[in-house]
Amino acid sequence: MLFTELNWTLNSPYPVLITLQLLPLAGALLMLALKDSLRLKQVGLLVAGVEMLLVIDMYRRYNHTTATMQFAERLDLFGPFAYHAAVDGISIVFMLLTALMCLLVAIYGIIRGLEPTSRFLSVLLGVEASLMAMFSTMNLMWFIVLSTAQLGLIGYMLWRWALSPEKDFALTRFYQFMGIGILLLLAGTVALGWNAAHITGQWSFDVFVLSQVPMLVGFQSVVFFLLFYGFTIRTPFFPLHGWLPLIAEHGNIAVAPALFIGIKIGVYALLRFVFPLVPDAIIQWHNYVVGFAVVGIFYAALLAMVQSDLRRLIAFAILSHTGIIVMGLFSLHHLAFQGAVLLSVTFGLAAATLSLMTGMIFRRTRTTRLDKLGGLFDHIPLIGITFFIAGLSIIGMPGTPGFDAVHLVLEASIVRFGGLVTIAAALGNVLAAGFLLWAFQRAFLGSTPEGATSANIEPARPSELLIAGLIVAVLLSTGFHITPLMDLIEMPLESISQLYPGGDAGHD
Amino acid sequence: MPDMIESIPILSLAILALLAGGLLIVLAPDHRTVRWVALTVAVLELVLTVIILVRFDAQLQGFQMVEKANWIPTLNIQYQVGVDGISILFLPLTAVLFLAVIIASWNMVRVMPRLYFGLLLLLEAAVMGIYLALDTMMFFLFWEMTLISFYFLISLWGIGPQRRFAAAKYTLYMLIGGVPLLFAFILLAINHADQTGMAIPAGLSFDYATLLATELPSGTGMVVFLLLLAGFAVKTPLFPLHTWLPVVSMEGPIAAATLMVGLKLGAYGLIRYAIPLAPEAAQQLHWLLVALAVAGILYGALAAMAQTNLRRMLAYSSISHVGLVVLGIASFNIQGIQGAVFQTLNFIIISGGAFLLTGFLYQRTGSTDFISLGGVARSMPLLTAFYFLFGIAGMGIPGTSGFPAEFLLLFSALKTHTGAGLAALVGVVIGAVYFLRIYRRAFLGAATSRVIVEAADLRKHELLIAAALALLILIAGFYPAIVLDVTRVASEDWIANLATASP
Repeated sequence: MLFTELNWTLNSPYPVLITLQLLPLAGALLMLALKDSLRLKQVGLLVAGVEMLLVIDMYRRYNHTTATMQFAERLDLFGPFAYHAAVDGISIVFMLLTALMCLLVAIYGIIRGLEPTSRFLSVLLGVEASLMAMFSTMNLMWFIVLSTAQLGLIGYMLWRWALSPEKDFALTRFYQFMGIGILLLLAGTVALGWNAAHITGQWSFDVFVLSQVPMLVGFQSVVFFLLFYGFTIRTPFFPLHGWLPLIAEHGNIAVAPALFIGIKIGVYALLRFVFPLVPDAIIQWHNYVVGFAVVGIFYAALLAMVQSDLRRLIAFAILSHTGIIVMGLFSLHHLAFQGAVLLSVTFGLAAATLSLMTGMIFRRTRTTRLDKLGGLFDHIPLIGITFFIAGLSIIGMPGTPGFDAVHLVLEASIVRFGGLVTIAAALGNVLAAGFLLWAFQRAFLGSTPEGATSANIEPARPSELLIAGLIVAVLLSTGFHITPLMDLIEMPLESISQLYPGGDAGHD
Repeated sequence: MPDMIESIPILSLAILALLAGGLLIVLAPDHRTVRWVALTVAVLELVLTVIILVRFDAQLQGFQMVEKANWIPTLNIQYQVGVDGISILFLPLTAVLFLAVIIASWNMVRVMPRLYFGLLLLLEAAVMGIYLALDTMMFFLFWEMTLISFYFLISLWGIGPQRRFAAAKYTLYMLIGGVPLLFAFILLAINHADQTGMAIPAGLSFDYATLLATELPSGTGMVVFLLLLAGFAVKTPLFPLHTWLPVVSMEGPIAAATLMVGLKLGAYGLIRYAIPLAPEAAQQLHWLLVALAVAGILYGALAAMAQTNLRRMLAYSSISHVGLVVLGIASFNIQGIQGAVFQTLNFIIISGGAFLLTGFLYQRTGSTDFISLGGVARSMPLLTAFYFLFGIAGMGIPGTSGFPAEFLLLFSALKTHTGAGLAALVGVVIGAVYFLRIYRRAFLGAATSRVIVEAADLRKHELLIAAALALLILIAGFYPAIVLDVTRVASEDWIANLATASP
């Protein structure tokens, strides 16, 4: 696959990408400096809001009729570590989601009163800067380094604003898993760079260069597994998900999961750095990956059913659905690629919504144990409805963006793997519907349990309603009008699909 | 001027008005206004559907007033609505039933009326969408949209202690039923690409008219038909997939139960999608349809006889009645399909009306169990009289709209599947037996409880509902041609489509 790019001067009067990366970084530092200022919250929200507008501006300037990377910026720093940023439709979809999510989390954190506010906003904006940088860099090594820095921040967030006494243990486990992931990624990246040096005589981690360097199939397989597991540990993907339930139960409830699980970096990275680089290995191994994905869908769905804690239940729901995304990616079919990208966005947003709503519940009940919850609908109906709609998006109910996405994945998988695998995956999906519905019913509609405090539950505040309303509006409007998103990713995915022949025509 | 009026996209308007009403009702300042807004929107919808009916030309073949727009162009999924002789009459009758339900809920609903009436209007929008959709994906969208409303209506305003269980059971049944439907539609779309030799996704088609004209290989056709049958059988419901209906009729609010018993969306799905889209397989598997139908007729009738509660009894009797509709469909002749459409329309006014009356009774007595009833006729003569009318209409007594429909269905069944037709006759007789028996026990005889003696008869708004529905029953009963004339051309086309594909 041949990467091409257009310089930023062609689409835009200012260098968009560097602005997107530096603005939140500057904001983060400013937050630390402003510490006790009264205007702190407003400035934080302002930065997140302006970032959102900048991404929208970039979306408007982006030309979606071509697969060429756009808004490219280059700066030669240290040989293979040169700064090289550019985006295509796939990156923009993820950047839109990032900006939206950070804005929502900023509002949430402020109303939730996460103290000290300056530190919270600073970490949040730092994460946003790292995400924006990851979505715009073309250099795999940059990506890994940024990823490491970001994990540090996220880990801090999980730990600093958690209430569980076991949070230290959870954090250790988190870093163990993520550390292994980073090591795998580093190994894979160095292998790629070495191969480039071996053949062209020059080290490089730039995907533009790497995609042109020939690789033996055996070597591709090694790189594939290193990168695949490195990226999917954090997605998370069965069977490397051991950190997730722990973090869900003992880590911070809403903020960190929304950022970390809501934005599926792993999926993006696979599409940007793995699928274009090692196509032969992927063709060789894709059935194996799909097998794991299908098993994972069921395994997680069944485990979700026996959970007694809302947070753990949501964690397994997410794990189950990541299986569908991975299945879509490795169907190696154009429709399924589209479906997988849309699913990552939808599930991401929906999962983040579930986390945020759970956080709002926790603020009132001080517990997320399902046997201690009940009757919440009478007090906070709109939060309940938002929870419900997010659940429906995960199930893939028509009218939510999840439907279009799941539908694409299933369609491609019928063509690729036949009815049996597809029906199995769809049933896993219905299973998911079962437990989400059950949890919703338990928490919101069930009778209030003995000794629970739900009698004096505070009604939703306007700012909470703002978050809920924004999410519902985004989910439903993209659900009924998905075309703009599909247009955005059509051409970039087309060039990936061409690496996997038979994906768009060969259904016989 | 006429051009301008005709250029108004009236079908989309009929859906949009309800959607907008359902969403904007949240803004109503107080509970009183909420009810009035809901009523206004429902009346407006009735007016719109009547205008559609007036503009409809029953002599034309194919779909009329079609409106198209691109929805998801890369997959060839379109927004497309239109009506033909089969779907047209469902629109005004559904509007009438929803209007009746809204009036009947006027004083019944005290908690969260905004959400309640909003959900009812959204549900009506989804039902109208089901009748109007000409794109399989759009149909599926509306089909699943009904679930959300039903789920909340049952779980939040249900009258039984097990309402949450009922809501979850209903929703899970329907979600599982949705999976085969989605698969069938995807298979049809892929088959279209195969037949035209085009690549996916360019060759996919979800357009109803295109799919009707696309050739379907026998193997795929068989799979598609079985998937569609399974999906619609859950919703109809056909024996043995019926167990959600009695539960919901007991636990759910009267409004939801009325709509589920009245709107036989599954039967509509069989007529509109399952059989025309896989005509060859449907005709080969006629025995399966007949077997399901007969089992449903007899099982429903016998189970109805064993019930001690009016609401459960109505649920089972509706399972029995819908079996007859399926038997009519399976005869694949003009009488059968005309009768099936007629009877499905009848359900809206007859079963819907009977259930609403049961609701009125429940509101007064707090129970619909026979043990606590008896002697209702003394204190509530009007209610008793109307109940009798709806009951005999359900039995198919001449003079009511049940008669022509049932006659056509039995006639067609006896012609093609004589044994099954005779079994159906037995079912009809049992139906008469259990209705009269129950009627005598619940309504006649001496009043046993003070609640019944002191209960007031139908109030004005209740009388209005009962009288309006009764009038429709009598008009269609004495002059069935007004229904049959409208459905004739479309029914002939339906048969012709089968004939071209006969095995």
